[in-house]
Amino acid sequence: MALFDSRFLKQLEYLSLISKRVFRGSLLAQRRTMQLGGGIEFADHREYTAGDDFRYLDWNVYARHGELLLKRFQEEEDLHVYLFLDCSLSMGFGTPAKFDYARQITAALAYIALADLDRIAVIAYSDQVVADFPLTRGKDRILSLLRFLENLEPQGSATDLARVATVFTQRTQRRGLAVVVSDLFDPQGFSQGLDILRHRRYEPNIVQIHDPAEADPKLLGELELIDIETTAGQKVTITERALRRYKQIFQDHQQAVRQYGRKYGLSCIQSPTAVPFDELILRMMRTAGAVQ
Amino acid sequence: MNFVTPAAFWWLLLAGPVIVFYILKIRLRRVPVSTILFWRQIYEEKPPRSIWQHLRHLLSLLVQLLMLSLLVISLTEPYFLWQPLQARKLVLVVDNSASMRATDEKPSRLHRAQVLAGQLITSLRFQDEMAIVAAGTQPQVVCGLTGHPRTLYNALNSITPTDGPTRVADGIALAKRLIGSSRNGQVIVMTDGCFVGSEAYLPAPVADAASVGAHASTDTKSKSNTDSGSVGHGATVQLAVIGKRTSNVGITRFQARRSLLDPIGYEILAEVVNASDEPVECRLEMELNGEVLDVVPLQLAAGAEWSHTFEKATADGGTLVAKLNRPDALETDNQAWALLPKREMQPLTLVTEGNLFLEKVFEANPLVQLTVKKPSEPLPITPGSVVVLHRTVSTKIPTGPVLVIDPHGSSEFWKLGEKLPNPIVTKQDKDSPLMAHVRLDNVLMPEAHKLTFTNPEQVQVLVSALSGDPLFAAIEHPGGKVAVLTVNLDEGDLPLRTVFPIMTSNVLTWFAGQRGELRESLASGAVVDLKLSQAGIPPEALLQPLVLVDPHGQQRPLPEKSDKVTLGPLDQCGLWSIQPAPQEPASKEQKTAPLLQVACNLANRQESDIRPAQILIDKASESPALRGAGMRPLWYYLLVLAWMLAALEWCLYQRRWIG
Repeated sequence: MALFDSRFLKQLEYLSLISKRVFRGSLLAQRRTMQLGGGIEFADHREYTAGDDFRYLDWNVYARHGELLLKRFQEEEDLHVYLFLDCSLSMGFGTPAKFDYARQITAALAYIALADLDRIAVIAYSDQVVADFPLTRGKDRILSLLRFLENLEPQGSATDLARVATVFTQRTQRRGLAVVVSDLFDPQGFSQGLDILRHRRYEPNIVQIHDPAEADPKLLGELELIDIETTAGQKVTITERALRRYKQIFQDHQQAVRQYGRKYGLSCIQSPTAVPFDELILRMMRTAGAVQ
Repeated sequence: MNFVTPAAFWWLLLAGPVIVFYILKIRLRRVPVSTILFWRQIYEEKPPRSIWQHLRHLLSLLVQLLMLSLLVISLTEPYFLWQPLQARKLVLVVDNSASMRATDEKPSRLHRAQVLAGQLITSLRFQDEMAIVAAGTQPQVVCGLTGHPRTLYNALNSITPTDGPTRVADGIALAKRLIGSSRNGQVIVMTDGCFVGSEAYLPAPVADAASVGAHASTDTKSKSNTDSGSVGHGATVQLAVIGKRTSNVGITRFQARRSLLDPIGYEILAEVVNASDEPVECRLEMELNGEVLDVVPLQLAAGAEWSHTFEKATADGGTLVAKLNRPDALETDNQAWALLPKREMQPLTLVTEGNLFLEKVFEANPLVQLTVKKPSEPLPITPGSVVVLHRTVSTKIPTGPVLVIDPHGSSEFWKLGEKLPNPIVTKQDKDSPLMAHVRLDNVLMPEAHKLTFTNPEQVQVLVSALSGDPLFAAIEHPGGKVAVLTVNLDEGDLPLRTVFPIMTSNVLTWFAGQRGELRESLASGAVVDLKLSQAGIPPEALLQPLVLVDPHGQQRPLPEKSDKVTLGPLDQCGLWSIQPAPQEPASKEQKTAPLLQVACNLANRQESDIRPAQILIDKASESPALRGAGMRPLWYYLLVLAWMLAALEWCLYQRRWIG
């Protein structure tokens, strides 16, 4: 069964309609830019200077007062949404694989944004940017985006969001939302990459996913654990007590991610892959609505 | 230390694989995980390969090797050299006589004895052997010498209570024969001590009690109670007395017999004993076929006995039951049974020219249907009819029972001789039933005829004169029975004597055979030989298989097509019966009419007296202690140790997995 079949597309359409009806302009913190320019909504006047466009002169004021004043309008600007998709090998873990789940979420968010006339870009990364879907606009681009996502595979070595963010922010581009869809199992720590994005005036949004077997592993006894990202091995004797400790550490990690989002006012959604992706999207909508 | 099966040491080779597996170490299962970041955090806090863990693995190996060693040594069944030397041969004599049914120990003395005996079995040492002998009614070995506790338990539990007499002395003798010449032989008697000579088994004051237990005595002290011929010289007897001094009132005799005066009358002898230390009031009720016959209130002083003979009459017969209405600890002797067979009318044809004495003596018998005929009249012979020929006889004696009185001619059985003028009776067959209660010493019998029998082998001379001539004789021939009395009734004084009706009654009873004959009630434990054909069982019934049914309905087969059978020992009180064997199991429920019944009563004063001697209670313990109780074979302890090690290894394993 293909990852993005017709049923999936119907679900995307449905989510798009829901987002317009109920969460209009709130899903991705849609807002107007503070830039003045060609728009519909009047902002204020200023004096005419040579070279200004005559079309914006306020002739009514000139008729009454003889002053040449230029009408200024608030310019509407479309939102730029950058979707960071974790393609590291750890995302290939689980049943279903976290990576499939992450791609579905990325596709859904992109579809909603495109339907809302926003611009989106997808940055697939692991230890570096492994693939890039350039900034694009228009709902008709969704199929090429889906093809792009479908062609992606978990790859690379250890996840390094900080390095990717550094490279990303060095590009000349407009600021916007940076939605990170990842398990955040970053050996350097999850916050470093997010900090870089935040410091460069992007607005990071976190979608952290995990497999239920990661939260509650069914492992006991003497085992050799193999990190599928680094292929590093660890010979361990897993006891009930060690299991309990593991679960605690995992929960602490999840808690740390939540606290980070709360601290910097970032949207943070955490979910196991057992939750259907559309349900997760709706939850994200509700969370965003509640925040606003 | 020696080993029973040293070949089992080969199992130690299993240590090789254990060590090899330890050295090789089983390759760890590789499990891919999305990240080992969190696992590292755990084991950075506490390194997994700590020294203790290494030691724990080494300890695990040692424990496994030790466990294997213990198991292997257990398989070799090790024992110390002194163990076979000190092995004992114990024989448990369990009294299961009637008095052990007493309920002063709940539920019964026998059950209590079995419980205590079970404890003794538990306390057997390794290589000890025990046998069990039941000492009630007839001593028997329930289980031979064995050291297998389960076999002993099963044998012990198979001992059932009986109503028979105590045979402890015989049981002990049997036990000593089982022990033989073993040095460490010991006989332990589980009894209530209610038998003669029980005190002799108590330990003598100077006995070395420490060596054999607190209440043991050597066999030399109980010589009076044992058949010392085959006594093992090492055997000691230890008495365990069960029960308390408990009051009991019991029927110790209950018999019925025919009345000497009344042909349909009978006499009942009943005896009741108060085997208690205080006076007792009770009631003796007698029933015939469920109908009350008599009720006698009794007031018995302590230890007193009461006996009485009742005279009753019935021609119908039935089952006579005596009951004491006082419930006590021993129910067995509160009831007794006797059987009264039905008396059947006997047709009798008297052929005589006339003799008033003779007619009246038969008329006086209520069981006789008398017909008087003249010798000239034809003689219709009805089957079973008794013919009395007075002063007349033909050469051909009719078939069937015939009484010939004062014959005046020869017959096929005798030749008539000259007259004996005044014969003097010198010889009488006192053992014959025809002469029961008959004495003719001073009776005048002039003009008796001399008889010469043609076939003396068929003839039993009952009364003979000084000259040796028979005066009264019985002849049994294939055609029937013939009694001949040569006395001239008119001349002598025999008809005037009380012995005359007794003689005629005896003759009629002899003609009737065992039919209607009283069979005395037997004492429990008795063994009786019976000729079934003479006991009134029809010949055709003897051709089919017969069974002996005890009062509780249990059937025991009798020898097939055998006229002579031995019944017993009758170890249950009540009515025993012989009846045809049921053809199919399904027809067991159908009641089969008994062919013959025998009443069995306790009738034993010793069994009714369920008060052990005070000295027994004072000196003998209820539960004899065995030295070295609870000692088990060495392999048992090795196995226990191996189990403990297994538990330790399990703990180590759990620590590795659960932490």
